[in-house]
Amino acid sequence: MVTLPFDTVLIANRGEIAVRIIKTLRRLGLRSAILYHDIDVRTLAVSMADTAVAIRGHTPLAAYLDIEQIIAAARTANAGAIHPGYGFLSENAEFARAVTQAGFAFIGPAPETIELMGDKIRARNFVRRHGFPVAPSAIEEDEPETFLRRARAIGAPLLVKPSAGGGGKGMQIVRELGCLQGAIAQARSEAQRYFGDDRLYAERYVERPRHIEVQVLGDSFGNVVHLFERECSVQRRFQKIIEETPSPALDERLRQQICETAAAIARAVNYRSAGTVEFILGQGEFYFLEMNTRLQVEHPVTEMTTGLDLVAEQIYAAAGRALRFSQADIIPKGHAIEARLYAEAPERGYAPTTGKIHVLEYPGGDGVRIDSGISRGQQITTTFDPMLAKIIVHSTTRMEAASKAERVLRELVLLGCETNADFLARILADETFLSRDIHAGYLEENPHVLSGGSDLSPFLAAAALLTKPVRDSANAVPELHASLGGWRN
Amino acid sequence: MQRITSSADVNAQDFQLNEIHNRQLAAELKQRQCTTRFSRPERDLDRLRQQNKLFVRDRIESLLDPDTPFLELSTLAANKAYQGEVPGAAQVVGIGIVAGREVIIHADDASVKGGAWYPLSIKKIVRALDIAIENRLPVVHLCDCAGGFLPLQAEFFADRYHAGRILRNQSILSRMGVPQVAIAMGHCSAGGAYVPALSDYSIMVDGPGAIFLGGPPVVKAATGEIVSAEELGGASMHTSVSGTSDYLASSEMHAIAIARDIVARLHRPAKTLIDQAPPEPPAYDASELYGLIPRDPRVQFEMREIIARLVDGSRFHEYQQRYGDSLVCGFARLHGYQIGILANNGVLVNDSALKGSHFIQLCDRNRTPLLFLQNTTGFMVGREYERRGLTKDGAKLIMAVSGASVPKFTVICNASHGAGTYAMAGRAFDPRFVFTWPQSQISAMGAEQAAGVLTHVKARQLAREGGRLSERELAAIREPILQEYRERSSAYYATSEIWDDGILDPVDTRTALAIALSASLNAPIEAPQYGVFRM
Amino acid sequence: MKHSFEVDGIDYELWLSPCPQGYLLRLGDEVVGPVAFSDCGSGSGLLSIANERRQVRFFIDGDTIHLHIGGRTRILRYRDPLRALACANDEPGHLMALAPMPGVVIATRVSPGQSVSAGTELIIIESMKLQTVIRSPKDAQVALIHFKEGESFERDAVLVTLSEEVR
Repeated sequence: MVTLPFDTVLIANRGEIAVRIIKTLRRLGLRSAILYHDIDVRTLAVSMADTAVAIRGHTPLAAYLDIEQIIAAARTANAGAIHPGYGFLSENAEFARAVTQAGFAFIGPAPETIELMGDKIRARNFVRRHGFPVAPSAIEEDEPETFLRRARAIGAPLLVKPSAGGGGKGMQIVRELGCLQGAIAQARSEAQRYFGDDRLYAERYVERPRHIEVQVLGDSFGNVVHLFERECSVQRRFQKIIEETPSPALDERLRQQICETAAAIARAVNYRSAGTVEFILGQGEFYFLEMNTRLQVEHPVTEMTTGLDLVAEQIYAAAGRALRFSQADIIPKGHAIEARLYAEAPERGYAPTTGKIHVLEYPGGDGVRIDSGISRGQQITTTFDPMLAKIIVHSTTRMEAASKAERVLRELVLLGCETNADFLARILADETFLSRDIHAGYLEENPHVLSGGSDLSPFLAAAALLTKPVRDSANAVPELHASLGGWRN
Repeated sequence: MQRITSSADVNAQDFQLNEIHNRQLAAELKQRQCTTRFSRPERDLDRLRQQNKLFVRDRIESLLDPDTPFLELSTLAANKAYQGEVPGAAQVVGIGIVAGREVIIHADDASVKGGAWYPLSIKKIVRALDIAIENRLPVVHLCDCAGGFLPLQAEFFADRYHAGRILRNQSILSRMGVPQVAIAMGHCSAGGAYVPALSDYSIMVDGPGAIFLGGPPVVKAATGEIVSAEELGGASMHTSVSGTSDYLASSEMHAIAIARDIVARLHRPAKTLIDQAPPEPPAYDASELYGLIPRDPRVQFEMREIIARLVDGSRFHEYQQRYGDSLVCGFARLHGYQIGILANNGVLVNDSALKGSHFIQLCDRNRTPLLFLQNTTGFMVGREYERRGLTKDGAKLIMAVSGASVPKFTVICNASHGAGTYAMAGRAFDPRFVFTWPQSQISAMGAEQAAGVLTHVKARQLAREGGRLSERELAAIREPILQEYRERSSAYYATSEIWDDGILDPVDTRTALAIALSASLNAPIEAPQYGVFRM
Repeated sequence: MKHSFEVDGIDYELWLSPCPQGYLLRLGDEVVGPVAFSDCGSGSGLLSIANERRQVRFFIDGDTIHLHIGGRTRILRYRDPLRALACANDEPGHLMALAPMPGVVIATRVSPGQSVSAGTELIIIESMKLQTVIRSPKDAQVALIHFKEGESFERDAVLVTLSEEVR
């Protein structure tokens, strides 16, 4: 067992990622502390943690964003480090700084790195300055009065998005320059509402773009390695739903090029901890998109192929330890796919769904990993992100992995709340998906996966047979009349 | 029980000609039924739509359990009356399954003359309620009738079996513990107001449903009070103020759902047990009936061939096969129910009358329902037969038919004339149901015979006045008499006047009888008791 | 009158009829079967449709039936005819704007007593990243707004009650 400068880690997060972090903490012999809003008191993460500290807020979300309370909770729990997970405050430089100033180790990169990469415009300028490929773009604040003209100069198609944004919030695709002004207005209002910052930027939109990202890992000594790429092109409403590694879009040359570019960018920012450099790939060209200075939702696929525990690596980095391996030591094996199980109804425009989990059973098997934060009896609300669990599978080939993931999604039993499991399973069995021809517009181009397999008769049959009034009406009909059917004279 | 071996040759020319003829008759029947049921002037259907009302057929289909049979009765009532302008006598009546329960449905058809009651409408409703009484069938009334057709009030108001009988029968049913559920789907005024009021359960559809003794115009004429139908007798008022109705329904479908829920909750007395076995289809196809029934109604045909196409496995236990052969008697099963069959196989004479009387008493003792298959021109006439006491023996048969307490069912297969009509459980003898095949003729005497007699009488009258008629003149007298006689002895006339419970396509007979038999077993079978048989 | 189940907002009418091998299921004009279900306890069972057997996991919550069959999960709601048909015009003269999905109110555009015409924006809701404008279905008067900005609601919750305007 290695000795670390702290023995307790506070998790400033909830749900599946909190559970996932606790598992690593246990493995490393560390104590886990979690904070929770009352709405989450009966969740798996809270029951698994060694210590749980309640926090308050005028909304549950506000509680998880309350830096003062989080630091107080870390003190209460006698924690030495704080893991922010993803989302919430994970990419908030102010938070990272506050954590450090309060004397805790922040499990993540330096606040300056977060700050730099958190600002899309600064990040892109930085990357461009270092000679890495960036898509043609127009940054509003460079010269706000000429923004429209400069955006127009990029040419259609182009993308307008909030400077402060992430995760696809407020993004607008403009295919005809006539719509540019409307798109800017829309993006601005959403940017203001989501991020409290209405600055925008526009960039070249790549048609049929593929989303490739590279996992990087750095220590406090300037060592950076990449852990190869992940492809996250299957997206709905700009949100990833299926991620995999290796990317079926890359040949060895391109893979090496893109991965080395990512590592070089990380090195340029002196990156510590786990991070992800995201690229847009189209027509053999790739552009830097952004860098996420945190653990990604889809990190498990990389863990499956590299055999590394990224949370453990983050903890080591935060503890000031040097990387124990070099780039050459990292040899990915096989193919891993992650599917995100959401509480949503794809058929109804991905509207979020709610309910209470009455039955929850995950299938097992070799190369099957399920990162879940939910448990039976739990109420699913729309308060937080609708992700319920992640299904991660590992196999030798992509085809095998896809079929294994499909099987797991089909065998998984979650009753009480509508999920996208069926939809995910249909994608994983879809010919186009299997043919590797995926891109960010895959779902729009293949609407059949949205509605496929809609034979309801077994469900109606089972429901009818399980419903007493329906059975009673059938049983009440005299035998003679039942045998005569709908006879009319 | 032995299986009847049919000797019919389906390839014979005669069979095939019969088949063509009878299929045509069946098609004509279906056509007439279809017109009666569905053919309405567009303006009447529009009016229903404007009033937010469903067509009566749709109401009934919604009320019934899906995929269960509905035996509609007297579909063609009034088809020869009122210039054919009141199809079905503006009423739909039938036996069906509602929430698993056998019920009789009585529904006013508001698409015909606003659902007004004509004399035959009342006859049809009274008959429906008689069926309910005799068979203890719960009744669902779908009320949508603004009152009687006043120009004809003398034919439906005051007499014993006129409109009052509806209310009387309703009261009797209630006294017997046979429940009734009524839905007021339209205006129920005057006598019609009492139909829901006398039902054990009453539902009103909010909006179109209203119950009042006199509608707004009547009130205005009588007292000068100006009041809307809604205020006067609307659903809201009757379910919350007057207590005249029990349930407020927001729509017709809601009302039907409430009615179904009520029927589901009704007490279900055990049905009368009679000998029953698992059912078996006949060994011969029912469609062969078309080839067996002669296209010329005067041609005699073998009733055992008919029986073979009605009963389970075509099995027939014949009684007194060697005696009284103009009346075939024996036991068989129909959808598993044991029945006793009496079928005319020639003119009734002494031995057949005695055989029938005896067989009826056997069945009665044995709690075996009776099926009469009529093809009778009556009892034999002549000195010889009177001397043998045929009237005396005929009286025995009539006494037995009248006294039998097991349910009786009559199918008029072809001819139904003279005292044969009576002795073979005609309408007057309260069989639970009477059905008629399309080509049947029902009259005191055969048409030819009667026309002959009437022509003869007329010729004699003229002769007394000194005239003498040529063959052509005789024919000129005879033809219209024959025409009118034929018309009024046809099955269509009989069913128009509700002398039966409906014309059946012969192939439907087995199913119709099964439904009727099952319905009849809702009433207990009394112990046999007879009057004095003239020995 | 058939029984009715709602799946994803669509009503499916069906009827079971007894038959020697179990039941026949009528779905519209189609008859499926024979169908039978054997309960194996703890929310699992075997459904057989025309002798083909399928594993079923189920959970029954009042009139809501959660089913997992053949790798697919569906939620079906039994529509009690008495309730379903009664609701048709529960409060005559009143209209309700229902939530198409669970979410939170982000803006209210009207106030009680205000006259609105068909299509007027009443309220803006958000479900995760989806903003939806709830509009008035017809000319009416706003009677009641049931949620304040920032309040969350479930699917089918009544957001705004309108009354038909008395002119």
